Amino acid sequence: MRSGAARGLIAAGLLAPAALVFAVLFVWPQLGLFLQSMPAAAPLAQYQRFLGDGYYLGVLGSSLMLGLCVTLVTLVLGFPLAFLLARAETRWAGLLLLLTSFPLWVSAVVRSFAWMVLFFRNGVASRFLQGTGLVPPDFQLIGTFSGVVVALAQVLLPIMIVTLYAVIRGIDRDLEHAAMNLGASPAVALWLVTLRLARGGVLAGSLLVFSLSVSAFATPSLVGGARAHFMAVTIYEQTLELLDWPFAAAIAAILLAISLSVALTYGRLLGDAREQAR
Amino acid sequence: MISLRHPFGWVLRLLAVLTFIYLLGPLCVIVAASFSDTGYLAFPPQGLSLRWYRQALGDARYLNGFFVSLRLAGMVAVLALVIGTAAAVALTRFRFPGRTVLEAFFLSPLVLPGLVLAVALTLFFAANPIVPPGMPRLVVSHLLVGVPLVLRVMLPVLRRVDRSIEEAAQNLGASPLHAFFLVTLPALRPGLIAAAALAFIFSFDEVEMALFLGSARDAPLTVVLYGAAQMQMDPTVAAVSSMLILLALALMVAQQAYAQR
Repeated sequence: MRSGAARGLIAAGLLAPAALVFAVLFVWPQLGLFLQSMPAAAPLAQYQRFLGDGYYLGVLGSSLMLGLCVTLVTLVLGFPLAFLLARAETRWAGLLLLLTSFPLWVSAVVRSFAWMVLFFRNGVASRFLQGTGLVPPDFQLIGTFSGVVVALAQVLLPIMIVTLYAVIRGIDRDLEHAAMNLGASPAVALWLVTLRLARGGVLAGSLLVFSLSVSAFATPSLVGGARAHFMAVTIYEQTLELLDWPFAAAIAAILLAISLSVALTYGRLLGDAREQAR
Repeated sequence: MISLRHPFGWVLRLLAVLTFIYLLGPLCVIVAASFSDTGYLAFPPQGLSLRWYRQALGDARYLNGFFVSLRLAGMVAVLALVIGTAAAVALTRFRFPGRTVLEAFFLSPLVLPGLVLAVALTLFFAANPIVPPGMPRLVVSHLLVGVPLVLRVMLPVLRRVDRSIEEAAQNLGASPLHAFFLVTLPALRPGLIAAAALAFIFSFDEVEMALFLGSARDAPLTVVLYGAAQMQMDPTVAAVSSMLILLALALMVAQQAYAQR
């Protein structure tokens, strides 16, 4: 066996490249972001500008609203599919699970473009809505909030399904049996037993999808078009088009704070969910 | 098991089928629309032609973007694999104070918005041009997510590998380094391939950092597509998208075939 000092040197050598990458490209730039958002002359001016302006508060509001809507849609659509996949006993289940996660292999740009094709004035989705007579004849879903919700929910749905699938697999199906033997209908059994036991996973999946939707860029910007007033799109405009870097840094810091608080809660919940599943 | 013969089972099934169509339908639509023989994007497609594929394959922007993306993702996959695996070995085979904190820190870029990382790096490189612009900047930026992705795959893999085999090799006279290369590394191979594939796909598909940090000359394919999709509903975008979807499908099938060998 080698001496402790030699082993310590080997460990340090193995960690050095990753530590260098993270110190230079992660810690330093993130600190720089905060410093740049707080110029010495007026440290809080950029934040006051954001929080004191109705327009920017509206941007923050629509991003949070987008996160809420997308989370709800992915949860309502994702749970039945994740449940059936987790409980299916056919050999097709594996293939179906694989197909469910397939969109994750394709760039979000490509997936958003697919929705643009459907959402344009003469696209299938727009023509369908026009046919129902509920919307004016020149209606298109592109550039609308609902359009962004529909597209982003589809982009993030695989993540929700994969998270829920793992949790539901961990729930003993005998508990559902027991509830039904005691007279519960399948719907009640699902509600009282499965959904309740899966709530850690449901919350974890929801927080993950929420965090990703609030900070999403490609889908809101492409499907939302020029009128996409969301956080990530605003940061993009301030950084690359208006070149107002202190302001961009402040908005990015606000977005970072939202994501971090969600991520910390998520980490705690996922830990709890794993404990429960054991 | 909640019986699927019960009416409620059918409701669940119906919901699941609709969700499935919602999930995969748009990808099918784009592939179908790309074969349309019209001058604009049409779904359902009218006529059948490969003209948009010919036009896309003859377009230097797409071709250049594809090769930039390939080079970028390849470099990111290799570098992230080496850096990430080395760190994973240190985190699982050595004991030192602060190990769990360091592990959480190395994984943390995965929970941060890609756009925030991109803005921070843009401002950082503007003030400290320590890495040349263009490809090198894209590579090091993607490492920030590529290394955590490799760690997330390799940490559990390394923890599962039976330490006693390594020790047996050392008892039989192999040096720790020899034991690692002779015994541990072959056992790690499926994990290493999965980790590299994950980093490759992330880098190939990523658009936010690429948009912020790439130069016009070295624009990856996602950036070219993003720009083209924003400009007009160009059928060549559908053709390129379809090719990317088929490429992803081929990669997924290959990965499954390898995993089930």
